[in-house]
Amino acid sequence: MSSRRSSSRGNISEDEINELISKLQALLPSSRRRGSGQASTTKLLKETCSYIKSLHREVDDLSDRLSDLMSTMDHNSPGAEIIRSILRS
Amino acid sequence: MARRQGTVENLCQGLLDLDDDKFSAMCSAFGYLQEWPDLSAMCGANLGVPAVAAAAPSAGDGNDSSSCSGSGGGGFRKRKPDEYLDAKGGASDMSKRPRGKQLSGLSEIAAPGKGKQERPKAGAKKKAEAAAAGQKTDYIHVRARRGQATDSHSLAERVRRERISERMRYLQELVPGCSKVTGKAGMLDEIINYVQSLQKQVEFLSMKIAASNPVVSFNIVEDLFGRQLKQACSPAAALPAMALPAGQLELSCLQMSPMQQVHPSAAASSTGFRLDMVVNNLYAPAAASCPVSAAPSVSVAAGPSTIEPCLNVNGTAAWDIGAQNLFSGFDAQFQSVESDCLLDNLKMEM
Repeated sequence: MSSRRSSSRGNISEDEINELISKLQALLPSSRRRGSGQASTTKLLKETCSYIKSLHREVDDLSDRLSDLMSTMDHNSPGAEIIRSILRS
Repeated sequence: MARRQGTVENLCQGLLDLDDDKFSAMCSAFGYLQEWPDLSAMCGANLGVPAVAAAAPSAGDGNDSSSCSGSGGGGFRKRKPDEYLDAKGGASDMSKRPRGKQLSGLSEIAAPGKGKQERPKAGAKKKAEAAAAGQKTDYIHVRARRGQATDSHSLAERVRRERISERMRYLQELVPGCSKVTGKAGMLDEIINYVQSLQKQVEFLSMKIAASNPVVSFNIVEDLFGRQLKQACSPAAALPAMALPAGQLELSCLQMSPMQQVHPSAAASSTGFRLDMVVNNLYAPAAASCPVSAAPSVSVAAGPSTIEPCLNVNGTAAWDIGAQNLFSGFDAQFQSVESDCLLDNLKMEM
């Protein structure tokens, strides 16, 4: 059923999808911790959702912190110098 | 079955008495009393509430099923009365009808309803797989369109695919630019790229913060990577706290530098930098005039590294504490023995 559909839609094979799925799994922290166990696709996608959300949160938090730091920091202090040099690189 | 009916009879005799006339009216509508004299006992027990019995055939059926599996009757309500009769007949025929009913009512049958319906009746040989599908997919209505398979595997597979595509839709909302991509593979590709970019972003941001403010950022970095580096972290965490009293910290924009990572631009790209930040919580300004020891240790926890902590006051002067090789091997003993040693050295030099 599904193979019929995918072949009619394009040249995406099930193998390709599976490869992508396992690639995605390798990116997730929880699955990495658990080992090589193959979780179900549904669960994997669910984890991906929550992981992306947590990453969003983290990025927001970190950028808030960074902007706070930048605003509180003296512009000609060595710290600001360092940040500037890092931002440039 | 007989045993069950017996117990039910015993337990619910009172109920049976109460509902008897209404119930028998209902049952006679189905011709049950003739075929299944015993069933009256059981159904009466199930009926329990008189209001349901008053609601004629469909209520009787609905009550029966709900008392048994309790799963949603959405599929039920869609059926016409004659189908109820069919169902009843099927039950009394002991599994001759159910299969045929499934096929004939294909377009309208909800999966849970199927498993449920046959269950309460007289131990009818309900299809085991149908019941399994019904339970697994509780409250999820799977519709079999014309020509679609209705066996349990197909149903389960359909539910699974439904869930997956639901998640994919959700992810599509989360991942920018993903809605333009068509096809599962493209979407997965996009999702993978996005997750990777987010990970990099988090890494980069935490690194920047750690670099700009070592003292404050230690907690963040520890949060992020501390789990993996718990061992390596513990002695190092103790180091700045012990070696550098708070007064000195405020007095002198103080920087401790692991010497193998002096140049920030070089450090920014290497993973070693991150590790060092975690372990040592330090940052070395490019202008630091400290002597550089070229110990290329990427894995700080394992490799013996020569680290020279240097006190950098406003980037002008630096004291070499002379704690060469002091940190060789960040093991547990370091914390107890060697850090004390370092503390002494530090005090002496100052």
